[in-house]
Parts: sequence; C-alpha cells; structure tokens
Amino acid sequence: MSPRRKASLGSRAAERAGPWVGRGASRLMGGIASRMSGRDLDPARTGLARPKPRKLVNDGMVERSRARFAAMSDRALTDALEDALYQERKRLQRAPPEPDVDAVLEDLARALVRGDREAKELAGLRLVSLWAEEVHGHFDPSVYKVATRFLPRALTGLLSGRPDRLRDWELSKSGRLAVRGDIGWIEELSREATLVLVPTHVSNLDSPLIGLALYLAGLPPFTYGAGLNLFSNPVVGWWLGRLGAYTVDRTKRARLYKEVLKDYSVRCLTTRHHSLFFPGGTRSRSHEIETHVKKGLMGTGIEAWQEMLEAGRKDSEVYFVPLTLSFTLVLEAATLIQDHLAEAGKQRYIITDDEFAQPRVLAAFARRVLDLDAACVAHFGTPVDCLGHAVSRDPVERAEQAAHRRGYVCDRDGTVQRDEQRDREYTNRLGDALVDAWPRHADVLSTHLAARAAWRVYARREGTTDPFRLIQQTAGKRRLPRAEVEEELARELARVDEKVQAGELGTLLPGTAGDVLAEALDRFGRYHRSLALEAQGSELFIGDPTLCLYYQNRLSFLDRSEAP
Amino acid sequence: MKVGILGGGAWGQALGRLVIAAGHEPYIAYRDQKPPHLLPSTNDPPKVAEACDLLIAAVSARELRSAIAMTRPGPRNRVVVAGRGLDPGSGRWLTDVVESASDVIRTGALAGPAPTHEILNGALCAGVVASPYDDVRSLLTEALHSSRYRVYESRDLVGVQLAGAVIPVLATLTGLAQNLQGAGVGVHALVLTRGLAEAARLARAVGADPVTFRGLAGVGDLVAAQAQPGHPYYDAGKSLASGDTSVGPEMVARALGQLARRHGVEMPLTEGLVALYEGVAPVEVVQRLMARPATAEEH
Repeated sequence: MSPRRKASLGSRAAERAGPWVGRGASRLMGGIASRMSGRDLDPARTGLARPKPRKLVNDGMVERSRARFAAMSDRALTDALEDALYQERKRLQRAPPEPDVDAVLEDLARALVRGDREAKELAGLRLVSLWAEEVHGHFDPSVYKVATRFLPRALTGLLSGRPDRLRDWELSKSGRLAVRGDIGWIEELSREATLVLVPTHVSNLDSPLIGLALYLAGLPPFTYGAGLNLFSNPVVGWWLGRLGAYTVDRTKRARLYKEVLKDYSVRCLTTRHHSLFFPGGTRSRSHEIETHVKKGLMGTGIEAWQEMLEAGRKDSEVYFVPLTLSFTLVLEAATLIQDHLAEAGKQRYIITDDEFAQPRVLAAFARRVLDLDAACVAHFGTPVDCLGHAVSRDPVERAEQAAHRRGYVCDRDGTVQRDEQRDREYTNRLGDALVDAWPRHADVLSTHLAARAAWRVYARREGTTDPFRLIQQTAGKRRLPRAEVEEELARELARVDEKVQAGELGTLLPGTAGDVLAEALDRFGRYHRSLALEAQGSELFIGDPTLCLYYQNRLSFLDRSEAP
Repeated sequence: MKVGILGGGAWGQALGRLVIAAGHEPYIAYRDQKPPHLLPSTNDPPKVAEACDLLIAAVSARELRSAIAMTRPGPRNRVVVAGRGLDPGSGRWLTDVVESASDVIRTGALAGPAPTHEILNGALCAGVVASPYDDVRSLLTEALHSSRYRVYESRDLVGVQLAGAVIPVLATLTGLAQNLQGAGVGVHALVLTRGLAEAARLARAVGADPVTFRGLAGVGDLVAAQAQPGHPYYDAGKSLASGDTSVGPEMVARALGQLARRHGVEMPLTEGLVALYEGVAPVEVVQRLMARPATAEEH
C-alpha cells in the first residue's frame, strides 16, 4: 500500500474507528473496568477525568472560530478562506476522494466567488466543524482504567524476549526503560498547574514509551497530538484516541487548520489536560538533539495561561517539562539517517514506510534491543514557565514566582494585556530554554560514545570532517586500530565524566573505555543488518558509516560553542 | 506618560529634555549628587521603576549593571539601553546585562549620534531604537519622537548594539589616522571604509544585519563623531597618535577582538587598535596593516 493511500485511509480512520469498534467495545471495556482494578483518574490532577461531551467541545471550537472570523477584516477573512480552499484542494489532488470535504470546499468556493460576508463565514465554519470533529480525541476514563491494568504488562510482554522479566519494568537506573529526573516534583506540580511535556523526538516508539514512563512514574496521563498516519490501523487508532491522543494531520497546510489545532490545544490546557508536544515537530533525522523548535503549539501555553489569568483561576500556571529520550539503538536509524543525508527531511516530513511500519522488524527490535538494560532512558528535566524561566521547587517561592510572572503580561492594574507579537518573542525564549535544557538531561550511552570515538579517529585519519566524504570512503579506509579508538574513547569518557561531575550531563556507562567499547559492539550487533561498528581481529571496522554517523551525532552537542 | 531615565549625567538630562519635547514627563534616577537641573529626579531609583513602565538607561557600559541592580526593575518594565559598548566584565551585549541583573526581559537599545550639548541647546537630532518587541519600540518612539528628535525603529537589536560598540573603535581609529604623522586623507578614507567592512563581517557572523551599519547607529554615529569638535573618541585617537594609550575604547576593542576570534572573523583594524594598547608603536601598526596581502573588496 502506498504511503499516500495509508495516509488517506487514516484521514477518516479516527472517524470510522468509532462505529467499528466504538460503542460495543466501550461498553465491554466499561464492564471489564468494573471488575478489574486499574488506575482511576484523580479529577484534581487532570481534566481527562472529566471529559466534556463531544458535541460541546466541537460546538465551542466552531463558536470561537466564528468570533475570530468576526474580528477579521473582509480582506483578511477572504485571504484565510482562499488559503484554506487552495491548500485543501492541493492536498486532495494527492489523496483519495473525501466526498464530505469536497462538498464543503464546493460551498466555500461558491461563497468566495459570489457570496456575501455571511456566506463566506458560514462556509468557512463548515470546514472548521469537519476539522474539529477529526481533531477531537475520544478519551474514555473507563478505557484508561482497563489499559492501566493490562497494557504495561502487555507492552512488557511485547517488548521482552525473556518471560522471566515480564514484570520487571522498573524505575531503577538499570531498568530497561530507565526513568530519571525529579519525578516527585513533577508529580507535585501536576496537582497545582497544567503541565506540558516537551520531549526530544527520536523514534515512533517515543510516544508509547513516554506513556509507559508516565504510568510507571505515577504521573497522570497526558494528551497529545498523534499524526493521522498512526490512526491508519483502526485498532491502534481506537486505543490512541481513547487513551488521550487527538488527531493531527500534517498534510493539512491551511492556516485555518493550524488555528483550529491551536485552539484545541488551548482548550486542552485550560481544562487541565496535561499535554505532550514534540517541539522538534518530527523525529530528528540526524539523531542530533534538536537545536530548533517549532513554536506553533508551544505558543498555546502562554495563550492558555493568559486565559486562565483573565478567568481569575488559582490553577492558572502552565509549566513546561523538558524530557530527553536516549535510546541505545534506534529502530528507524537506517531510514532516518538516509533521509537526513538526502536532505529530504522536509519533503518526507511524514515517513510512512520506515521500520515502524514493518511488524517483523518492530518485533525483532523489541526482542533484541528493548529487552536490554537501559534500552531507553527517559530523563525529566527542570520544569520551566511559559517564558522559559526555571520553576522553583519550593511551594512558597513558587507562589511568589507566579505572582511576579503576571507582570510580564499584565498592566499595573493587573489586567492582562494581549499582545501576540510579544507572546511570540516570549515563546522564542521558551524554545531557547528547551534547546538549552535537553542536552543537559541527555544520557550518554555506550553506542553513542563508541560511535563518536570511532568517527573522530576515522575523520582524523582521513583528514576531513565532511560527513559526505567520509561515508563514501572504501571499506579498506574504514578499518581502524582498536587501540587508537580505545584511546580516543578514554579521552571522550574523561570529558563526559567532567560534565557529569558538573551536573551538565547524565550517563549510563560501564566503567572503563574498554568496557564501553565492548558493550557498544555487543549492542550494535543485536539489531542493524550492517553494523555501525564491529570488531575484526585487532581492528574495528565501520561497516555502515551512515549508521556510525547517526549514533555519533547524538553527542554533537558536546562540540557546540558556548560563545554568544 | 512618565518616562524613567537612569543616570543624571548630561546624556540623561538631554534625554529628559527630549521626553519633554515629545510631550511626556521625565523622571530621572541619579546616584550621588542631585544633578544641576530642574527636571523631576530622585536618588531612590526603585521609585522610578515603580512609577514608569519605560526606563531609558543613560549610563555607561561600566555603570549599567550596578544601575540596574539599584533600580530593581521588574517584569512590567521595559528597559532601553542608551549607552554604547559591551559589558566590561563579560563582553556581552548591554541588553544581556539588563536581563541578567533584573527580571526584565523586554529590552531594547537606542543608538545613533548623541551630541549631548547640542541636544541640550535645542539642536535637532535623530536616533534608532532596536528591539524584538513591538511594544518596546513603540513606547520608546512615543517617549522621544518629536519635532526636535526623530526616532527610527529597527528589529535588529544585535546589529544596533554591535554598531554601538564598533563606532567608538572606528571613531578612535579615524582620529588616529588623521593625526598620525605621514598619514593623509587616503588613510582616513581607508580606515573608514575598511572599518565599516570589518564591522559588517562581524555583524553577519553574530546574526545581525550588516545593513544596520549604513543607518544612524553606524555611519550616522561615525559621521557625527568626526564632525563634532572635541568628540571624546576622536580626541582619544589624537592622543594615541602621540603615544598616549591611557585613553579610548580599550576594553571595547579587546572585547570585539575576542568576539571576532570566537566567530572566526578577521578584524585587522580592531586588532590594530588592541596592538596599540599593548604597546606596539602606531607606525608599526600601520605598517603591519599595509603589509597585509591584497584581497577582494568585500563588504
């Protein structure tokens, strides 16, 4: 099946999933829930415990769009609607027919040519209504309760090749999913404010693993925007929707659609739905930690904060929690680095034909890699506010900070002064704070460090740092003396240790450079067909230079200049 | 509108007059002795931060950190730095100093010719305010723009601050070039044009817009420095030509040199000025500069 076909199937999968497995399954789950002891949601900790009726949410989104339309000049309204019409028609040229959307676009086109302002607004609102219906999640507390009863075990079973370890997902440093950071503090904040989790994005496995990490850490569930392609499987789509995901179709480029998404996000935040955004926008193709972030959804944090301030709410604060994910091996490494090298990242913003879409590869990866100790490290960082300022750990000081913070958006009478341009700058600052925070919570793993040491030795011997030249060298030149790599590794290890001592970095490494190398060689041999690095007698061989580049890129932040 | 001015010196007083000319009320914070003028003022700087949303810092780069620390501006305040140069301690932008010394994040910079005595005597002038925040630029424009003083706006905060640091160096170098024995108008022209070219190179490297140097903060300020009799930096250049290295923008030149090296940018004229402060004779500095290999005229 072509990627396009898959995506288009997904465009209505969420809708179809409801009737297909919806009511009956919901009743079934409700029945099971009453007999099984899953985790109940605490209304004081999350708005997900009190889902609003679907119609009410959708009507609200349409009404707010109506208000936005009313505030626009004729020219601005026409521009926005023309953009929506153009972008949607362009999208539909490459997608299977969507008769309901076609009909709405026909109306919109007629209104734009011959209609008055009222007709244009109505046609635009019909489109908004379709989108609102698609975006809105189907969270169901009873399904969540059931899921928390058996999903962690099921996921453990799926991810484990060793039955004896079925129950040992744990929060220890050596657990397969190692969860680090001050969880107690984040848990405390989740009771008094709305949290936005902002992770680095490495793999499509990020979302389920983050969900598992949140569950294991005793944190409430977070809602998040899942790509429409993930809903293409009706069963997965059904579960995603009912466990807190809402739908984001990245093939929809219309400005109006983005406004609907932002509006939905603001509604989630103002109703205390802790949310998860991937500020990088997509998986890091190069494996480098994100240095640029997309600010569209992040900006909804400050919008929601101001709305809650205007409403005089005591729980008005919105805090962003950086989360750095580090994987020993990455399921889609080979595809992602090829995409990066082909500079096709933008064209292939949504990759639907990678390893994640191949069940056998996914299963093999789960069996061979995710069963390892510290296969994945989820490191929660210091929460920051909507402007990127660190949030205090002390409750009294935190309350003072909150009162003080209002000065950034309120006048001397305490009235919120709306200023979109100012808020964009504030969100830029937040983005900078996250870019700064992620590397500090990165955990250096053996595969990253060994690949870095080997790559540095290789680059030095070839007299170039140009990755394109290095990946094209013949196999003979990619053989490196093991002792030289170990020496380099020891130097890098010392450098990393310094940073760890200074609290600027985390590691999960065995003791010596030799141990690190041995562990890395073992790890590399477990999954990828062509190896990033392998031992051949007294030499090391960079079998697949693109993979070696991919894993070494994870530590590229160590080379970043600290200069302004 | 009440406009706070930090610094009771001549520049603070001149800005106070401009605020009045724009139809607003200045409120000047001074540190030690009450300035000899009748403009509303106080030696209790926090009062100014409390009373005014907009604060203009009319103090030197050296005094900025302590002035901000004493004033204690808060989240509601917008602070526009009207001084030149870089932070002597860290070599950072002056708006970074404001942000690190207070809770203010909405900052801006005012640059351009600042002939204080002319302004105090009612002469016409103009400046450029730069800030990424629309409201900072519009507040400052409202506070100062009048028939006496035109305010232009820019979003290039880094470029305007860089110009504020580079122009004292170039003004000093032109003063030196005009007073160096054996150097004629050719050297003067060379220093001016190549000085602006190296500034533009650095601007590109630090993410600023090199075009900013063509504006009031760059060429405008440099022209004023040369046209104004007794301009401190121009006079410093004269002193350097005669071997007196106790004056001039030594700290700024060193900080710019470091910044340029960090970004891999060549700034031979700035490095030449640093060499003078390190004791190299002016003639030798000129010889070194003239001995550089021929190159394309890039800007």
